[in-house]
This record gives sequence, structure tokens and C-alpha cells, in this order.
Amino acid sequence: MLEPGGTLEVLRDGVREWCAAHVPKGWRDQQRGATHSELVEFLRWWGGELRGSGLLAPHWPKEWGGGFTVEEQVVIAEELARGDVPRNALFHVAVFNVAPTLFHHATPEQRERFLPGIRDGEIWCQGYSEPDAGSDLASLQTRAVRDGDNYVVSGQKVWTSWAREADWCMLLARTDPSEAKHKGISCLVVDMHAPGIEVRPIQQAWGPADFNEVFFDEVVVPVENRLGPEHGGWGVAQGTLAAERAISILEMTERLRSHGIEAAIRDASTWRTERGEPAIRDDAVRELLAESYAEVHVVRHVLNQMIDDIIRGVDVGGTSSVIKVLYSEVLARLMQRVTDLQGVTGQLDAGVLACAGWETGFWMNDYIHAFGWIIGGGTNEIQRNVIGERMLGLPR
Amino acid sequence: MSLSPEERDELRSTARTVLSRSSSSEGVRTAISTELGYDPDLWSQIVELGWTSIHVPEAQGGAGCGYADLVVVAHELGRALTPSPFLASAVLATGALVEADHVDAATAPLAALVAGESVGAVTFASAAGSYEVDQLGVVWSAEGSTIRLDGNAGFVLDADVADVMIVGARAADGSAAAVLVDPTTQGVQIERVPSVDLTRRLFTVTFDDARTPADSLLAEPGPASARLLDRVLALGVVAAAADAVGAAEQALEMTATYARERTQFGKPIGTFQAVKHHCANMAVNVEASRAATRAAAVELDDDPAGWATTADITASYVGPACSEVCGLAMRVHGGIGFTWEHDTHLQMKRVKLDEVLFGSPSWHRRRLADSAFPSLVKT
Repeated sequence: MLEPGGTLEVLRDGVREWCAAHVPKGWRDQQRGATHSELVEFLRWWGGELRGSGLLAPHWPKEWGGGFTVEEQVVIAEELARGDVPRNALFHVAVFNVAPTLFHHATPEQRERFLPGIRDGEIWCQGYSEPDAGSDLASLQTRAVRDGDNYVVSGQKVWTSWAREADWCMLLARTDPSEAKHKGISCLVVDMHAPGIEVRPIQQAWGPADFNEVFFDEVVVPVENRLGPEHGGWGVAQGTLAAERAISILEMTERLRSHGIEAAIRDASTWRTERGEPAIRDDAVRELLAESYAEVHVVRHVLNQMIDDIIRGVDVGGTSSVIKVLYSEVLARLMQRVTDLQGVTGQLDAGVLACAGWETGFWMNDYIHAFGWIIGGGTNEIQRNVIGERMLGLPR
Repeated sequence: MSLSPEERDELRSTARTVLSRSSSSEGVRTAISTELGYDPDLWSQIVELGWTSIHVPEAQGGAGCGYADLVVVAHELGRALTPSPFLASAVLATGALVEADHVDAATAPLAALVAGESVGAVTFASAAGSYEVDQLGVVWSAEGSTIRLDGNAGFVLDADVADVMIVGARAADGSAAAVLVDPTTQGVQIERVPSVDLTRRLFTVTFDDARTPADSLLAEPGPASARLLDRVLALGVVAAAADAVGAAEQALEMTATYARERTQFGKPIGTFQAVKHHCANMAVNVEASRAATRAAAVELDDDPAGWATTADITASYVGPACSEVCGLAMRVHGGIGFTWEHDTHLQMKRVKLDEVLFGSPSWHRRRLADSAFPSLVKT
């Protein structure tokens, strides 16, 4: 178990050694083209490996097995990324979205009830978006009608990652239909094994099917499963904090810096231009790759600035939106450049690798996957509205 | 020792206050129409406040802070579009003397710069604007107890007001040198070239059998001197980036204010997403450029071996990103932003010069590829 409180160098060496000992050799080749159930089995196993090391949730408070400072979390995220670990996709919602919400909005009893499960490997999903409530999330229509000590939930959610595997759902539902938009919403924890829930998978544009539609038909949820005040769920749902978001993106950026760009350069050194010359010797090619290389470094600088500000207690307000837009578009530009360079040879199906970042070597698929980052987590268009309104004070 | 974040905030706010008084839009326009091209009283004040020697070690009369502190001033000067010899003298010339290997040669001119008794300039681009050592247009040779200089250098900032010049030159065998030259020396000719950026002045400097004493070399000829010139280039890149970020930040704030206030179709134009998203893109570029430039300056202080890569990454990203900001500022302002009276064109021209003054982004990317893709260096 890696512990907080030592020097950063010792921690760095510890994570590095752990990765060297635990990251399975050849996992990329083994997982390429895996079926959904093979993917889930692999990610369950990998989550268990992380759990055993103390690296699953370094940002949690000490009494829950975390207690690493922000600086230490940065070191862990960096070294995991550099250590070429599989993405901890299956447990990400539970560890990075649900748990911080529980720490900030749940009662002590609720924490005792739900956190040990997360620590022991329960899977969570997030029931936010609906077919008619995407960017305009506050217009959501799923109803939770109070019936004594229970709510009765009916409605439909969509784009719900890992809903088929999930044990629990952190759900936003309308408890007061008479109130305007975000005022009448509550945040409920729903047992995904309860009667009345139906989950249908949605296959994504890049292949995998971790997305789902979730249908709730008079699902009974005890009132004690409500997080935060009744009708006060909107504030609870905004709870993914700047630090956690910064660390998550930092890990992705570090993957891109230490593997994505490297892989692009390595691959480009094997490609030939239409004139038969090695692509990597072409000045135009070198310039494009160097531009992406510089851009990835700039993303990292913005993250460092954001993390420094968080540590100093400076308000990072709109910077979360800035970093989301910047990272996703730097990623997409790299993919655009590489797929251009690769030419028609990049249009052959090289097999999807679902549990990696955007460095699978199947560049056309990574290119498609990059749009997931531009659309997901609040589209970049919505993020630009947020930047305009919250950072620049532009009228709505 | 570098300033703490709080002290740096304090420096920033002092600089902003001073410049808002002494370098208003009107003040800038007045200054650039004078023969000197800048406000000498403001320049004296900048020197007295110690801004030009923040990065000079205490033993040599400076504040002993770092480049990360110097760029705070560069940023504010860019923000206010202030015309001044700061970049030429405080960044390039002072930086060259601080970084010089031959301390004996550097001490006296450095003391004069720190005291504000003289202004410095550096010539290290060719007439075609290249910073590659083998492209230097000034040729040096040792002749008896003197160094002889012939040829010319282009795009020299503030050469007309310089009391001391540091000249990048190459020998017939290609070895580089960085030579101190008194600009009044016989055989040195300084000619202004008309620049698009009205807030800065550029010159071609020609040397025709110009002589300077043999002890004017700031480093051993050859690789050590090439390295010194490359370090001055890195300083220039990072300071110009800070200048560009300052100007772009000001352009963003002006534009956001305009988008809040200007109404069309019965509402502020900032309510329209087409306009709002232009503004958001400006904010993303400014935020990213600001973080990149700060990080670059910290790297100058902390990682002496990494200066070239730092400069290449900075030049690759910041100039183009800030130019885009200025373009969007002009677009959001519409017709009014396309007039001579408005500051948008002054910002655009200043940022564009910052973008390319110390080598084009394209050249820096190629340099970056050569150094960052080591296993794949072009053969």
C-alpha cells in the first residue's frame, strides 16, 4: 500500500515500481477487439489491482483510505499515465464523481452506507441526461413522486455509462414539477437491482457499448437515499470539484504527452508519403507533429496553473471549462493531423482498443473517439457559453 | 531569489497602475509620434522602479529575482502597448550580459544598463530575419588587438537609442561570436526600416570595417558564443510572448466590454452565441497563452539546460494564439474595430510582431521537432 505523507520522490518511485510490477505486459494486444463482457471482466480485475495498492482513490479523505495532498495526487496521476496503465473506466464515476459528492453532500449515515461499497468495488452510474434534456439538463422530466418514506421514480435516462454493470445510480429527478427548471430537482441514489429498471445498451460511434438507455417504471427509492435537500439536487449535481476534474484531465493529458505523441511520432516514422519518402523526414510533417507536441505541453501548463491556484485557494471558476475545451480540441487536432498523415492506409480496421486513451495506434478510431470528449461532460458549445457568461460577464 | 506569488501580484498591480497613468491609449499615440518614439520620462521611471534589472543578480546591482518576474513587467507593457526600449535593453541586452561567460567584459556595461545610464540593443538576426548562426550577416575576424566586423544585421530593436550594442557575428570558419560594440564606432551605420507595428522601431545595422577591442567578446568564440546567442533568443521569445499575452488580454477585456454594451436587434451582441463563442475562444487562447508563458519563464529560471525547447514550445503556440485573439477582437468590434482611431489595430500589429520577431512559429516547430524527436532526427 502506498501511503501519503512521505516525500514526492519516494511516492513517485513507489508508483513507478508498482506500475512496473502490476501493469500486465501486452494488455493492449490482448484487449484489442475484446467483446463487451471481456472488457468488463478486464476492467473489474484492473480496478481490484488499483484497490489493493491504495491508488484507486488518492483524493479521498484520509479516514477513507485516501488523504493524499493535491501535489501527491498530481504525482500519482502522472506516474500512472506514464506507467501505461489501462484506463480505470468502470469505476471512474464511483470514485471521481459519486464519492466527492458524498463527501460534500451526504449525511454521515449515507457515507457509511455507500462509501465502503465503492471502496470494495461496487459500480455506479450517473442518471443525468435524458432524450429531451441534454445540454439543457435542467429541463429533465424523470419524475420522483413522494409516497410516504419513498419516492416512486418513472422516466428515462440516456448516455448512461456502465448502467448494465452498475450496482447504483446517482439520479437526478424532478420532485417538484411546479417549480421552474433547476429548482424542483432532487438527487437520489437508486439501487440498480430494484424492480422496474430496464437497461438497453447503446453502441457508440467508435464501437464500444458502455453507453445505455435506462428506463425507470415506478421504481421505489427510500427517502433516506436522497442526497442533499429535497428539490435541492441541482446544487448537489454540480459537485464535481475543480481539483478532481483537474486531476482527471491531467492524467489524460499526461497519457497524451507520454504515449500519444510518442506513438504518433513513432508511427509517422514508419509511414511513407505518396512519393515514397519516409513521412518523418518531411518538414511539413515534422512541423505538424511539433505543433501538437507544443500544444499538449501548453495544456499541461494550464493544468499546472489551475492546480497551483487550487492549492493557493484562488478561485478557478471558469478554468474548468477552459481546460475541457482546450484539452479536447488539442486532442482532436492531433487526431486530425495524424489521420491526414497516415493517408488511406489509416482507413483499415485495426481493431478497437476500448480501455486505453487516445493512443491505441488505430488512429482513425481514436479520431472518432476524440469527439466523445468534445461532446461529453457538457458539449464544448455549452462550455463556451459558460466561459462567456461566467468568466467574461456576457449576458445570457 | 524569485518573488513569491503575492509579491508578483503586487508588482503586476503597481505596473498596471503606473502604466494606466503614463501609458494610456492617448499617451501611446503621442509617444509614437515623437522623434524618439517613446516617453523618456516614463522610461526613466521604469528604470528607477527597478523593472529593468529585476533579473540581474544583486552582486551586479539588480534585484536578484528571476525571469519569471521580468515577464510580469513585459506582460504589463504589452497590455498598455507601451513603446519603450524595455525589450531591447532590459531583456535582450541586459539578459545577454547577465548570461555572458566573460564576466569581466560584461560587468561595466551591465552596471551602466542597471543604473539607467545607458540603453542596450542586440543584433542577432540576418537581413533576411534568420536567427540561425550560419545565416548571420555580420562577419567577425581578429585583427591584432581588435575585432573587425563587416556585414549587416536586420530587425534590430531600438538600435538608434542604444549606447551599447551586442553583435552576433560569425567568422569565416563559421564560429559564432557575441561582441560588445559602441554604436558610435566608425564604420557602424544605423538605418531605420519602416515597421508596421507603430509602437516599436526596427533598424538595419551595417558594419563596414568596424573595430572593437579584442576583450569585447562576451563568450569564447564558437559553440559557447552560439549558445549565448541562443539563450538571448530564448529570452526574447519568452518576453515577446509575455508582451503578446498582455496585449491579447487587453483586447479580450475590451471586446467583452463591447459585447456587453453594444446592442443590435434590441439586445447586447454578447447574447448572440456567434459573438459569445468568439469571446470564449479568445478567453481560451489568452488563458492558455498566459499559463504557457508563465511556465516558460519559470523554466528559464529553473532549467538552464532546457531553454531552447522552452522557447520553441512557447513560440510555437503563444504568438499564433494571441494573434487569433486580436483578429477576433477586430471582428467582434465590427466596423469600429477596423478604424485607425481604435486600439484593435495597434494590438494586432504589436502581437503579430511579437509572434515572429524572434523567429517564425514554423521555424521554431522545426527546431522543436529536431530536438524533441531525438530518435528520429532528420538525416
